[in-house]
Amino acid sequence: MIAIGLFLFKTPFSGGAMFVLILILSLAGGKITPGEIFGSALIVFGLGFLLMIFHFFIDPGKVLWSWHFLTITDYGLIQGPIFFFRLSVIVLSSFLLIWTTDTRDLMTSFIKAGMPYRYAYTIFLAMRFLPLIQKEVDAVRSAHAIRGRASGSGISHRFKLWQRYMFTILINGIRKAEITADALECRAFGYKKQRTCVKDIFFRKRDLILPISTLIILAGLIFMERSKWMGFLGL
Amino acid sequence: MAVIAELKNVSFQYDEDKPKVLNNLSLSLETGSFNILVGPGGSGKSTLCHLFNGRIPHLIDGILEGTILVEGHSTADVEMKDISCSVGSVFQDPESMFATLSVEDEIAFGPENLLFNREEILESVESLLNLTGIAPYRHNLVWNLSGGQIQKLGLAAVLAMKPRLIILDEPTANLDPSATRGVHELILKLRSEGITILLVTRELDDFMAQADNVIVLDKGSLVASGEPYSLLMTQGMRMEQLGIWLPETVEIGLALIKAGYKPDQIPITVDETLKVLDKYKLCPEGRVLEGPEIAYHRQTGNPLIKADNVRFSYGKGIYAIKGISLEVYPGEMLAIVGRNGAGKSTMARLLIGLNKCTEGNLELFGKNSRRWKVPDLSNHISLVFQNPEHQFLTDTVAQEIEYSFQAQGVFDTQILEKERDRILAMLNLEHEKENHPFALSAGNKRRLGVATMLVGDPKVLIVDEPTYGQDKKMTGTLMKLMKDIQARGIAVIMISHDMRLVEEFADRVVVFSEGQKHFDGIPTELFNKADILEKASLQPTLLFQLLKKLEERNVISKGHIPGSDSFTELLLGEGEAS
Repeated sequence: MIAIGLFLFKTPFSGGAMFVLILILSLAGGKITPGEIFGSALIVFGLGFLLMIFHFFIDPGKVLWSWHFLTITDYGLIQGPIFFFRLSVIVLSSFLLIWTTDTRDLMTSFIKAGMPYRYAYTIFLAMRFLPLIQKEVDAVRSAHAIRGRASGSGISHRFKLWQRYMFTILINGIRKAEITADALECRAFGYKKQRTCVKDIFFRKRDLILPISTLIILAGLIFMERSKWMGFLGL
Repeated sequence: MAVIAELKNVSFQYDEDKPKVLNNLSLSLETGSFNILVGPGGSGKSTLCHLFNGRIPHLIDGILEGTILVEGHSTADVEMKDISCSVGSVFQDPESMFATLSVEDEIAFGPENLLFNREEILESVESLLNLTGIAPYRHNLVWNLSGGQIQKLGLAAVLAMKPRLIILDEPTANLDPSATRGVHELILKLRSEGITILLVTRELDDFMAQADNVIVLDKGSLVASGEPYSLLMTQGMRMEQLGIWLPETVEIGLALIKAGYKPDQIPITVDETLKVLDKYKLCPEGRVLEGPEIAYHRQTGNPLIKADNVRFSYGKGIYAIKGISLEVYPGEMLAIVGRNGAGKSTMARLLIGLNKCTEGNLELFGKNSRRWKVPDLSNHISLVFQNPEHQFLTDTVAQEIEYSFQAQGVFDTQILEKERDRILAMLNLEHEKENHPFALSAGNKRRLGVATMLVGDPKVLIVDEPTYGQDKKMTGTLMKLMKDIQARGIAVIMISHDMRLVEEFADRVVVFSEGQKHFDGIPTELFNKADILEKASLQPTLLFQLLKKLEERNVISKGHIPGSDSFTELLLGEGEAS
């Protein structure tokens, strides 16, 4: 819903408003610390920022500033922040979902929404695999560290080491994934189209508060952008 | 008795170009029986397990001949999901089997797939949590469990599916003796409930006596199978020659037969061994069994490592090491033992500089540990990881050794090649020179791991579980290598759960429990301290238990009797003399 809304926004102000709202929701409602938010999303925010700068210079429109071959257009100045907020809001709201929802509940709700459980479990298994890979990465990093350095710290040497590092992790990761896949078969995964769900989840009326208020806010912003209320958005 | 599973003339090879892993194998498992599968490394034990649980032919490619029947149906004709209704498998690494995040969910996963009803699943989860003793950890994340708990959870998760046949492939390979005992007790409980069990293990000890059937494999062929006592009587010598781990009591029985005695049966338990010794009056009251004097505690010169009240925490105020003091001297073989999670690996990481000692004082080779950089420290102290693959950095065995020399600053091609070949010859790896390290056999990988760490003559070599996954023959080879290294004046520290290894090879043993040191002395002294053994989840070897029982009968044992070979040498040598 948020993603659709973001693609319908015509101005950066609506995206900015959504960004602020979700940030407040994460901090106040989700009890997520600013450190956690920026620690996890910094790369995406950085990428969004680069995308914004890129749009400043490449989009067509009335030239507002130029220097040699570099020009900034009025259209670019609008489109840049739109793209920044599209990316940042989608990622931030996805993180909010992951940070505040039990993975099992998430999977169960996908299944309840009609997704075949084999597919829903794929997401779940990916989450299950992360700590195993982390363990493997730590073990390989430690083992490599104590082998010492063979030829100083040249870039090609470091690249070779990195290659080996990835090779070991990849090989062992594939082996583990194969074992897990076989183990699933041995444990009757996919036995029937349905499966029993011991820990079911049920929809409560108050669960509607968040999607309905999000829908109202998105609809309100889209309406204002397209009506005489545009002035409220500073346009 | 009815048969639950049967192999009829089964052969299997993973690849057309590779030799057969299983060769014309015919055997059967009776319903409700407890079967132990043994064999040297590479004999095809795991492949045999894959046949019964349907991974072969459904999930693992290869060329299969013959018929595999489970409950009367050929596994080739039955879908994998249907086989999983009757056969449960606990893999070698159960952690890789887990499909969910929490302990409770993991047990429920299988029955949920099989569409058991909700109440039935909840009831079974509850009873299995209690049966396996992991109820206090029911809400834990699966990756926060200890090794023993992981094994028990793996077993509970399979049992929840109510299988009629359970395959357990080395379920206690990496467990401390107490956790191993716990898993063995659980297996016996299952047998009493009528479940057929096929167990691959090297931890036989007196547990072997409980088996209904022992199956012996070698090079993919069936050597023998049958009830343990009669099997040992007819095939015991062969099993010993194959390098299969046998209980020390069995080794004593076999040694007696070699010496010309004719016991009615090969003893498996300590009490049975006593009966055999009584029969031949080999240990009359007052007899003295005198081993060589103990020449341990080579605490000469300056210690290489000096830890003084070292504490270490991974964060959140939980200490993995809680005030350990320890000294390591040149040329000694020191064993660090203790239950899973006792702080052994953390201590090793502190010694090689991967973790920095923040509280207490840790001196490494005369310098405070905080002042060492890991690459510099690696010239003095080396660690052979449990999984040697983690250490490999290049594409051939030869390059691995060369890399280690280059890390020591040796770049001259002639010297490099000469030294590389010397190390390869020392570890009998010359013929593998051009092979990829990942393509080596498990034993050779382990040797290459040691080889890469021997370069540059370190002063201390730490080996994490030196015999993990190795058969007796390979263990002998590796331990001989450790002894040779020790003879060169290098201090060898082995981290192990294997008390036989400690008894036989260690000069000194240090016991860790919950981050503290509870014992520092010679192995025999340790085995006399029941309270420490209990605290550290350890147990004395069968040989030591036998010596203790003999002591109660006024048979005096003196000096160092490190294994069944030394015991029988003393027993028969003096016996003949008397």
